[in-house]
Amino acid sequence: MTSPVDTTRIHAFIDGELDLASRLEIEARLARDPDLRAQVDSLRALRSALREQADYHQAPDALRQRMAALASPPPTAPARRWLSWRPLAGSLAGSLALAAVMTLALHFALLRPSADDRLLDEVVASHVRSTLGEHLVDVASSDHHTVKPWLSSRLDFSPPVHELPLPGSVFVGGRLDYLDGRPVAALVYRQGQHLVNAFVWRDSGGDSAPRFVAERGYQAAHWSRAGMAHWVISDLDPHEFRKVVAAIDAAGG
Amino acid sequence: MSHHDHQRRFEQLALPHLDAAFNLARWLTRNDHDAQDVVQDAMLRALRHIGGFRGDNARAWLLQVVRNTCYSWLKDNRPGEQVSLDDEGEAGLALAAPAADEPLATVLRRADRRQINQALAGLPIAYREVLVLRELEDLSYADIARLADIPVGTVMSRLSRARGLMRLALSPCPPPPAAPPEPSGGRA
Repeated sequence: MTSPVDTTRIHAFIDGELDLASRLEIEARLARDPDLRAQVDSLRALRSALREQADYHQAPDALRQRMAALASPPPTAPARRWLSWRPLAGSLAGSLALAAVMTLALHFALLRPSADDRLLDEVVASHVRSTLGEHLVDVASSDHHTVKPWLSSRLDFSPPVHELPLPGSVFVGGRLDYLDGRPVAALVYRQGQHLVNAFVWRDSGGDSAPRFVAERGYQAAHWSRAGMAHWVISDLDPHEFRKVVAAIDAAGG
Repeated sequence: MSHHDHQRRFEQLALPHLDAAFNLARWLTRNDHDAQDVVQDAMLRALRHIGGFRGDNARAWLLQVVRNTCYSWLKDNRPGEQVSLDDEGEAGLALAAPAADEPLATVLRRADRRQINQALAGLPIAYREVLVLRELEDLSYADIARLADIPVGTVMSRLSRARGLMRLALSPCPPPPAAPPEPSGGRA
């Protein structure tokens, strides 16, 4: 008789996870190997016991109702909400709030018309959120070999993931983020006391050199390279920041 | 994608799998109340990230969100419970073919719901998880691998070990209950 069948293959057999050739081979052996047959029977019995007898816990009704409420549209449409501010307008708080809203609206309407600027706002907001400790990384690692496959399996592209050859640079990890209406990879580095968020997504445009901008105390840069768009942001000083950007760009980004 | 689009996708893709989400959370936390907390968190995360989902298996995707939420919750709330598994060592832990299969089959025929549930609930979390995903959610090895972020080979070795541990827990002469099941313990 040939060598015994590897245990995990017997499991794969009863799970229907073997390729056809291996399945036929085990089926042929089942006919003449009573030990194997006993093992398979016993595993199948365990399997049906679990499927038929183990509890399948259904969501309680209260939870179901709460979750269904998440999917229903808000009671007032966003445009209507402006009207509900009116009664406040008489009060000082209301006027201040209205003034703030109008300033903001003006700010958005007049001062930041371009797509790049809108994106910059999103990049700053995402950076700030991540540094507030809410959600810095999905996969924490000092090893880019775990971060890259993790991100690749969740995005429709494989982002360039590299450690930076800079003194004091630590690769913290990666997370999925959402910018400009699409899921993007966010790679997080620590440079001394400062966090750096490097966002990457697929971009069909041609290569471009890094452009630097300062916004609300943050340094940001964006460029395209090898079919990938990059946005990098940090609260590093401009000099250090340029070094980080150069390192990311040189590393293959 | 607007918030409304998110809500619509959430309704179509995530809500139908609320039972699966709760079942997984319930088996991982082993507690109704905690499972509800975890699922609520997970569904909020799902709503936030649904725009990024573009696979064809929304249930596996949602279960992945639930699983990750569960693990962070367990880490924060029951730090002692999570155990890291030595997967390299697991492959070598293939269970010896039991000498007495007949008694097991008999025991299984007799085993009632309570015994099966207890045995499953008693497994270390990493083994409980693969069994629940495989037998109760009927996910493929590939889906489980993606979901638990482990190689398919590890899914196979964990399933094999999980079933071995179930077998031990249900066998006529169970090992002394004083010893809690340890994943990397030398029980095999």
